[in-house]
Amino acid sequence: MSDLTTKSELPVPRSATTGEPVITTARRNRLGIWLCIVSDAAGTVALLVAYAYLWSLNVNNAWAPPKDTWADPLPFWLIWAGAVVAALAMWWAVAGIRTGRTGQFITGSVLASVVALVTFIGQIVQLSTFPFDITDGAYASTTFWLCIATALHLSVVGFLTSAMVGRFRAGRVTREDHSHARLVAMWMTWVCVAVFLGAFFATTMNTSPNTNSPTFGTFQE
Amino acid sequence: MTAVIHEQQAVPQPKQHGKPGGFLRHTNIVTGVVLGLVLALVTYAIGGLLVPWGTENSNFLQVGESALVAATYTAWVIGFMIGIGAFAGPIRWWLGHDLTHADAEYLAGKGQGRGKYWKYTTDHKVVGIQYLVMGLFLLGFGGLLAMWIRTELGVTWAEVFDPNFYNSIIGTHGIVMVIAMIIIAAGPLGNFIMPLMIGARDMAFPRLNALSFWLLFAAVPPLVSNLLLGGMRDGWTAYQPLGTQAPVGMIGYQVCIITFAFSTGIAGVNLFTTIVTMRARGMTWNRVPVFVIGILAAAIMGLVWFPMYQYSQVMALSDFAFESAFFIPQNGGSVWLYENLFWLLGHPEVYVIVIPVTAALMEVMVVFLRKPLFSYKIAVAGFAGVVGISSLVWVHHMYMTGWSPAANYPFMLSTELISIPFGFLVLVMLGTIWRGKVWTRLPMMCVYALLWNKIVGGITGVYLSDVPVDQYMHGGMFVVAHFHFMLMGAGLFGAMGAIAYWFPKMTGRMLNERIGSIGLWLSFFAFQLTFGSMFVAGLQGQPRRVLQFDDAFNVSNWLSTIGAYLIGVGMMIFLYAIITSWRSNVIAPSNPWGAKTLEWQTATPVPLNNFPVLPVVTSDPYDYGVPDPYLAIEKKLSDENQDTKVGAR
Repeated sequence: MSDLTTKSELPVPRSATTGEPVITTARRNRLGIWLCIVSDAAGTVALLVAYAYLWSLNVNNAWAPPKDTWADPLPFWLIWAGAVVAALAMWWAVAGIRTGRTGQFITGSVLASVVALVTFIGQIVQLSTFPFDITDGAYASTTFWLCIATALHLSVVGFLTSAMVGRFRAGRVTREDHSHARLVAMWMTWVCVAVFLGAFFATTMNTSPNTNSPTFGTFQE
Repeated sequence: MTAVIHEQQAVPQPKQHGKPGGFLRHTNIVTGVVLGLVLALVTYAIGGLLVPWGTENSNFLQVGESALVAATYTAWVIGFMIGIGAFAGPIRWWLGHDLTHADAEYLAGKGQGRGKYWKYTTDHKVVGIQYLVMGLFLLGFGGLLAMWIRTELGVTWAEVFDPNFYNSIIGTHGIVMVIAMIIIAAGPLGNFIMPLMIGARDMAFPRLNALSFWLLFAAVPPLVSNLLLGGMRDGWTAYQPLGTQAPVGMIGYQVCIITFAFSTGIAGVNLFTTIVTMRARGMTWNRVPVFVIGILAAAIMGLVWFPMYQYSQVMALSDFAFESAFFIPQNGGSVWLYENLFWLLGHPEVYVIVIPVTAALMEVMVVFLRKPLFSYKIAVAGFAGVVGISSLVWVHHMYMTGWSPAANYPFMLSTELISIPFGFLVLVMLGTIWRGKVWTRLPMMCVYALLWNKIVGGITGVYLSDVPVDQYMHGGMFVVAHFHFMLMGAGLFGAMGAIAYWFPKMTGRMLNERIGSIGLWLSFFAFQLTFGSMFVAGLQGQPRRVLQFDDAFNVSNWLSTIGAYLIGVGMMIFLYAIITSWRSNVIAPSNPWGAKTLEWQTATPVPLNNFPVLPVVTSDPYDYGVPDPYLAIEKKLSDENQDTKVGAR
């Protein structure tokens, strides 16, 4: 009986704006992030469908870039690896704050932030060094946009992870209320999946299986 | 029965940075528009120095011009959002400067009078009113374009508009009306009424709520301005490759859709989360009002399918501005890819429009018939069925495109199948009316209008879902009449009923039903004239999207045009009723209809926190005639006390 009384007297962290227990708002925010992921996944699927569709059709025999200069697969996987490392670092940080190890949280968040930034820069470098232009056929267009989507995802990751550092310093991430850090880690996990799918499509589905493509000619002929 | 959930003052507050509201104290619609215009002009000026003028691309377009216009429109959207204060929240969050309770109250518009309607206000009731006004504006603009279309088609002896401009009017009218119809019920009522209906204090994410509205606001000017930049000449669908070969006005459409899809996605997340996590205690899923289920269904469809439409426009804009090759066949693209992505949302969007208004009028029916909904579970099954099957019907828009003739028949089947859950909804409504004693008020009249229009639209839709019939009918006026019966006949007349029903709660005033009814019935009969004649023209073989046609179609078109003008008059009368009632002194009581759902149990005007104490639900929202179980328990306890007293004597 006395034990129960002690527990009930512990202060329950509450939201400053609504007064609800933070566990309630955290649950709500978690559902919100899941829905954002669903919506973002639908957009990612649209890009992947576009890639697979145009790859399978090879319309006007114009899927491949000029002289079959496909993109180097290594950068795709390096970028994916960067996203994974950043996500793992963030989850490690979350695990730290859950057990009260604030040093682990700040180390993990800073690491995630730096890796995300480096990966983002790597994505920009890849975009600017492709051996083709966005106008060079359907493969080039779809690959460019898969990479642009990755860059946008990584920029959001960079914003979120760096915010964790700032919020920790402002005392907004604590052992009792670290739900936002967990949400960031959830988002980063989804980004890993999205980047993986993009890399998988762009590196394994190069030459079109359709060798008898419909030909429409060009305006130049 | 009610309970106090928490005391605000007892909660520890983060540090207050400056006055409550911070940066947002200085922002409003004026700062948004000014910053949007300045950023757009600066972008255009700098971009104009950079683009390589004078060379054309493979689509015979000025290289760089389209990219410049796209950048200018994007700058408008970003500038406006900065100016209205949309980025203040993320930056504060990034810095760890979380909102205090005083900040949150300021952002919700506390003590700001009518100025709060022009600001980045988070209160769901303010956002609901903002959506209502925006919806009415869009309906007015789209309606004006409809009058121009009918003028051109009615004046059969002359050409009123340049053909290209006429086609642009058609496209702009289409997309403006689609956006208007998507928001006219789910926007005002989903935001204002739904949280009250489930007994919540606000939406789950109040700042996202404001964001969704102001994104919509930012999306409208690019769309409207397309008419000044050559227009969009290939209809609201913006089919490719015509879309890529269009004048730069097309970019206004694309930027609008990309922005609007963000708005819709954010709204969908907010509505879904609010419904799932913020229902009052005791409001189990079988006690959730059917309108809330309808909003949930629309949110699900919007969340999943809108990104497809959004990305189709991202790709189209990329083709247009940067010469990528998604939809340009000579460069390896496919126009069928566009059609698939477009119709993956394009068809479910019909249900995003119709489901919320149908659900809203189910709420109306139970109140004005004073009887429970005829099979709540079948209604919910109908919504679930429509949501599920809506993702499997899009190809019926592409029967005649040659995309995949073998796929036509499975999709014919799925399209016919969706009429079953849709039929559930009609049957539930008819079953509720059956042998009911009707309290005939304006909202109830809209139920009749909706039912008739939905049945006509639904049955003609079944015809069109058949491949052999579609082979003859597609691209003709029959199709135009059919989808107007669904989108306008069911959607708009349903929205009129829903707005009339909740008008007292939203505005604190009673709607002038006498004038409103005149507007409604004039519009309704004129609607039958307009689109009934259009069915005839379609059956005679008149194609759509042309302004010159054979004399054989003249009579049908004259009648349609007369009907369209009368619809316009009817709508103006209804709008007059709304405006004059809103400005009148006829104060509405808090529950003028004697309804049982929670939104009517709080005061009018609704206080900032909605309920002084959060409600606890103890009974079904529709069990008219069934005693409240809580009252029954009280009575039983009281009787037992009485018995005890008697026994003691």
